[in-house]
Amino acid sequence: MKELEKIKRISIASTLFILAVLIGVLTFERPKNMYAFNTENTLETLTTTSYLISMDELDKNNSVLIDVRSQYEYEKGHLENAINMALPEILTEENQLILNDLKDGKTMVVYGKNVQEANMPFLMLYQLGFTNIKLLSVKLDYLQNKLIVSKEEVEKPVSNIQDFINESVKNSKKPIVLEKVKAEPKRVITVQKKKKKPVEGGC
Amino acid sequence: MWLEKKLKKCFTHKPYKMDKKKIARVTSFRYQILALIFILLAGGLVLLPKYQKQEGIKSEALLSHATSPERYISTDQIANKIINKDPSFILIDVREEESFKNYSLPNAINIPLAKLFDEESLPYLNQSQFDVVFFSNDHFYADQAWMLCNRRGFKNLRVLNGGLNTWFTTIINPEKPSQDMPAEAFELYATRKASSMYFGVFYPDQQAVAEESISNTPAPKKVITVQKKKKKPVEGGC
Repeated sequence: MKELEKIKRISIASTLFILAVLIGVLTFERPKNMYAFNTENTLETLTTTSYLISMDELDKNNSVLIDVRSQYEYEKGHLENAINMALPEILTEENQLILNDLKDGKTMVVYGKNVQEANMPFLMLYQLGFTNIKLLSVKLDYLQNKLIVSKEEVEKPVSNIQDFINESVKNSKKPIVLEKVKAEPKRVITVQKKKKKPVEGGC
Repeated sequence: MWLEKKLKKCFTHKPYKMDKKKIARVTSFRYQILALIFILLAGGLVLLPKYQKQEGIKSEALLSHATSPERYISTDQIANKIINKDPSFILIDVREEESFKNYSLPNAINIPLAKLFDEESLPYLNQSQFDVVFFSNDHFYADQAWMLCNRRGFKNLRVLNGGLNTWFTTIINPEKPSQDMPAEAFELYATRKASSMYFGVFYPDQQAVAEESISNTPAPKKVITVQKKKKKPVEGGC
C-alpha cells in the first residue's frame, strides 16, 4: 500500500506540474515590436550604406511614401500617394500591420518636414527589421498655402568657421573706416483724397 | 474478466510476491511515461519562435525618448556653459576627423560616428559623471549617435540643436538686428557678439580692447578624465 500511495502522490504532483506548464505556455504573451538588429549592426549599416534618396531618384511605381508629420500637417498638404504615420504612433498595432504588409516588396520611403525630422522614425523602423527603408532628403515649405518640396543636403556645413574667424582677425587689423550712413531720401506718397459727396437725403 | 479478477486481487488482497513484482513493473513504466511527457513538452520549447536576445531598452521606451525634444540643447546654452567653464559636460564631435581638425568646439572630443562603439570611446559615453553633448554639422548624425547610445541605456545624453551650422549663424556670426526689432533682439545680439569674441572672432570696433586680450582668446584646454569602469570577472551560473 505504501508503494501505491507513493505512486499516487507522484502522479498528482506531475499532473499539477504539467498543468502549470500548460497554463504558462497558453498565457505566454509574445513581446511586440522586437528589434531585429542590435546597435552595432545598425551603426555599421548607417555608416556603410546609402540610405538617403533624393526626390529625383525616387521611383514612384516601386516605392511607398510614408509621411511622419502630424495628421494636421499631413492633411494640409502631402506628397502624392503618401501614407500618414506620425512618429509617436509608429509602433501602434494598426501601423505595424500596414508596415508588415509593405515589408517585402516596395521600398518604404520616409519623409518629414525636413531630413532631421524623418531621421528618428527611419532609424526606429530600421532597427525593427524593415530593411527596405530609405530616407527622402527633402524639405517641405509652404508658400501661400502651397506645398513646396525642395532638396536638402544633409550635414552640409554652411561655412568654414575657422576661415571666418581667421578672416575676422585679419580684418580687425585694418584701420577702421567709418561709413557714413546716407539718409534715405524721403519718399513722397501722394494719396488722392476722396471728394466729399454732397449729403444725400434718406427716404 | 480475467484481468478484472487479477486487478481486484491486486487492490483488495494483501500483495503477495507476484503482485509486488507487477506493481514494481507498473511503477517503473509510469516513470518512463512521465519522462516521455516531459521530453515532449521540452520538444515543444524548440518549436516556439526564436527571439534574439534584445539589446538595450524596449522599442516603445526608445520611441517615447525619440519623440521628446528634451534632448536638444541650444547653442546659446552651450556657449554660456563654455564661457562659464561649467565642468559638468563633455562635447562629442561625431564628424570625421578631418573636419574636426579644421574646426571644432573648444575641448571637444572627436568620436566619428563609425567609431561610436569602439573600445576607447565607450568610457566617454557610458558614464554618469558628465552630460554628453553630441554635435555634428547639423544635428542629423548627432541624433543618430544619440539614438543608438540611448538604446544602449547610456545616461545624460544631449544633442546640440542645429549643430555647428546653427553655432555659426547664432554665436560666431550673429545677425545684426534691424532697427525695427524689439530691444530683446539687441540684447541677444550683444550677448552673442560678446561670446563670439570669446571664441576668437574679432570685430573692427573692438580693436582697442582686442590688443590687450589677444593672449587669452583661445579657451584654455581642459583635461577630461573619465573613470573607467572596472570589468568584473565573469560570474559563474548555477
